[in-house]
Amino acid sequence: MRLAFWLYEGTALHGISRVTNSMKGVHTVYHAPQGDDYITATYTMLERTPEFPGLSISVVRGRDLAQGVSRLPATLQQVERHYSPDLTVIAPSCSTALLQEDLRQLAMHSGVPEEKLLVFALNPFRVTENEAADGLFTELVKRYAKEQEKTAGPSVNILGFTSLGFHLRANLTSLRRMLQTLGISVNVVAPWGAGTADLEKLPAAWLNIAPYREIGATAAGYLGERFGMPTIFDAPLGIEPTQRWLGDIVEIINDLAAKKGVPGITMPPLRAFSLDGISAPSGVPWFARTADMESFSGKKAFVFGDATHTVGVVKFLRDELGMQIIGAGTYLHRHADWVREQLKGYFPGELVVTDRFQEIASIIENEMPDLVCGTQMERHSCRKLDVPCMVISPPTHIENHLLGYYPFFGFDGADVMADRVYLSCKLGLEKHLIDFFGDAGLEYEDEAGGHTIKAVSVNGDDNGFEETGSEAAPSVATVTDGMRWTDDAENMLKKVPFFVRKKVRKNTENFALEQGENCITAEVFRKAKEHLGG
Amino acid sequence: MMPVSGDIQIIKEDNVTHSFCGLACVGWLYQKIKDSFFLILGTHTCAHFLQNALGMMIFAKPRFGIALIEEGDLSKSEPTLEEIIAEIKADHNPSVIFLLSSCTPEVMKVDFKGLSEHLSTPELPVLFVPASGLVYNFTQAEDSVLHALVPFCPAAPAGEKKVVFLGSVNDATADDLRAEAEELGIPVGGFLPESRFDRMPAIGPDTILAPVQPYLSRVAVKLERERGAKVLASLFPFGPDGTRVFWEDLAKEFGITVDLRDREKAAWEKIRPQTELLRGKKVFLTADTMMELPLARFLKGAGANVVECSSAYINKKALGRELQALEGIKVVEQPNFHRQLEDIKRERPDMIVTSLMTANPFVGHGFIVKWSMEFTLMPIHSWSGVFTLANLFVSPFNRRSKLPPFDEKVWLEGVMPSAEQVH
Repeated sequence: MRLAFWLYEGTALHGISRVTNSMKGVHTVYHAPQGDDYITATYTMLERTPEFPGLSISVVRGRDLAQGVSRLPATLQQVERHYSPDLTVIAPSCSTALLQEDLRQLAMHSGVPEEKLLVFALNPFRVTENEAADGLFTELVKRYAKEQEKTAGPSVNILGFTSLGFHLRANLTSLRRMLQTLGISVNVVAPWGAGTADLEKLPAAWLNIAPYREIGATAAGYLGERFGMPTIFDAPLGIEPTQRWLGDIVEIINDLAAKKGVPGITMPPLRAFSLDGISAPSGVPWFARTADMESFSGKKAFVFGDATHTVGVVKFLRDELGMQIIGAGTYLHRHADWVREQLKGYFPGELVVTDRFQEIASIIENEMPDLVCGTQMERHSCRKLDVPCMVISPPTHIENHLLGYYPFFGFDGADVMADRVYLSCKLGLEKHLIDFFGDAGLEYEDEAGGHTIKAVSVNGDDNGFEETGSEAAPSVATVTDGMRWTDDAENMLKKVPFFVRKKVRKNTENFALEQGENCITAEVFRKAKEHLGG
Repeated sequence: MMPVSGDIQIIKEDNVTHSFCGLACVGWLYQKIKDSFFLILGTHTCAHFLQNALGMMIFAKPRFGIALIEEGDLSKSEPTLEEIIAEIKADHNPSVIFLLSSCTPEVMKVDFKGLSEHLSTPELPVLFVPASGLVYNFTQAEDSVLHALVPFCPAAPAGEKKVVFLGSVNDATADDLRAEAEELGIPVGGFLPESRFDRMPAIGPDTILAPVQPYLSRVAVKLERERGAKVLASLFPFGPDGTRVFWEDLAKEFGITVDLRDREKAAWEKIRPQTELLRGKKVFLTADTMMELPLARFLKGAGANVVECSSAYINKKALGRELQALEGIKVVEQPNFHRQLEDIKRERPDMIVTSLMTANPFVGHGFIVKWSMEFTLMPIHSWSGVFTLANLFVSPFNRRSKLPPFDEKVWLEGVMPSAEQVH
């Protein structure tokens, strides 16, 4: 038992739904109390899904427990009638898992054919989001993948791309662009956008690409064992890893082509990978060598996130931008050994392995790095400490679901990462100048107000209201423009959210003038509010 | 599907709905009661819910947290919360800790009552609040919080005739309600809840309880039974119609006769552009926040055609007047979302008032949508809330009319690959 406020990883049920919400014709039925439906909102709000996610709850209510009622069969029938999915995954929640019900038996009562149902019951007190998602995806691959002929031309599967993944669409676009340039076709992307028929044809590809340590790697391992398919597990994060990744693909494809006696592929000139086809594929190698980037040699960075991104970003910062790494960590205990082995020699001290954000916040506070690369939570911790921070890892937040093309993978991704490092740290540099020379003509907003008003937002977006309010004008005296405010009225005004307070003050005074009042009393304020509509 | 007995027809359904559990009320109550701490005895799921669905990031020290049940705790006979309480006390020094139940400890049959009594000290009461999603939906657990606060409301002596408003509203709204009552000559005893734990209102046999939120039936019954207080049976103060009836009925309890018809008329007049837009519009409420009945009644008064008003739970006593006002409208308790989806596709309502889980998908299907949750977080009470309330319903129409035509075949391509045609 411990006191928790915020957790990096979601639940097993969340991991399961990330996989099924990625897939065509696959539905999840939660055998769960009403509250577990919040998971649906993470998709409809963060990914702004224009269709209903394939998630239904077979609601468990308190009185059902006593009466032995189960809605599972009826729910499965309704799902069959309304969505007729190829597969329905049935999963218990943390509370219903304790009931030790035989969900398979219950599901059979629905009359839905057994081959269209999969009970995926994990121990939700042991297994969390990533492990559950990876586990279910592997299970589905085992269930559907079938031995078959390889495609005639070279092809790959891209595995592990999953709903709510970090910069998922842009990363996928980046990989697709590079593969297209190589002349390799994509056989299947899974689970994102795949149906069960797509999983069936996975073994037709020549090669698997599974860049995420967290999701997809286990399924790729299975495909290797069962169908002899090779896999590239590395993530193309940074220039050198991307070049290595491309080289590995060409080598494996050509080996297979030679065995099949068909023509192989040749590595095109690197400019072919650029957006316009006629330039260097990335600005990073030159950028890193420019004079103004020399100051980055002295910059100290701390990196924290999942396994894939922590490893990739530490290597990128040190190997390609020449920064110093003062420490790194991950919240994924399960992958800590791999991260440790990958990052041996990259930084002094031990890898930090914790899922308590407070520990990371206190490391940042003690070390005051020049740059923190972390999750959205580190961004918040850093904001309080005024430490530059860039977000490099899930869990995703509404701000990681932007419209523009911001991949982390490939040459395009290296540019995005370098830009973010530069934009984050540059402010730090300016701040040093300011600290050194005084205010440098910049005025920082007075924070004495200490507004802590925080709108309860609905989609993981903090709307920026949590920060200190910025009533830019110097503090307003009780008398403005000759209009007097009584203390009562002033107190009432204080109850209006700070970001509209100035407007309300002005409107109230205008109203009072119209009414021939020369003083704002509580009464006038209230009338004005009613008149002006709250 | 079966009609509930009684004079007013409520269709009762079952199963798939889209809404939050009772823990959602922590989102506003921890901000309302400023010297409180909300401790949820729960699991990873509860923590993930609060941080995701309610968008709570940890900016400062939050005054809510989860006593996290981990695997090792499942075999223990009773949870030990002493250390966690000490940690909260050291970091926050609250005047009260609300101990909220959740589904897992409910299934484990944790004796919450005993647990909270054991943890309580005279300096720092720990109050049990039943909030588990096995029983409570969304706003409903506010009822449990207020229930737990009852012993901390001093006893008002007989003869002290005052109104106590029931339900959490923000401070500005509270000021408005208080001033309005005083203007009508109604003495105000306070609010349950007040914004500090040590300032809960006195309640006694001559207290008139005026519910201002429609989801608080249990605490009302408790106060009636234990304190002999009288619960006002009226409309809720939303919209010109509800606000007039509410204040007139409340005044009547104090022997004051007021005629607010002119004021109601003026209020309708003020929102005439909005009601003109709403007139004849088909509106469907899918059930989410349990504010649906009064909202539908306002819409009906504004001339809209409410094709369905659904709510997760309908207390026929507390909502009696609202139900009467909704006569002729299809009212459904605990609706089945699959059935609603079919009806909506057939009826093609002009607007759907619905949950966060379903809002964007309905928009994707070409509908105009209003998030029901906004009504719980906006000042829509009484006269000063009329404009806000009307605008909440009108703004989706206005916005839609400002945007250019939308060809979904073009602009939705690739947005949700899993929803695209199989094979």
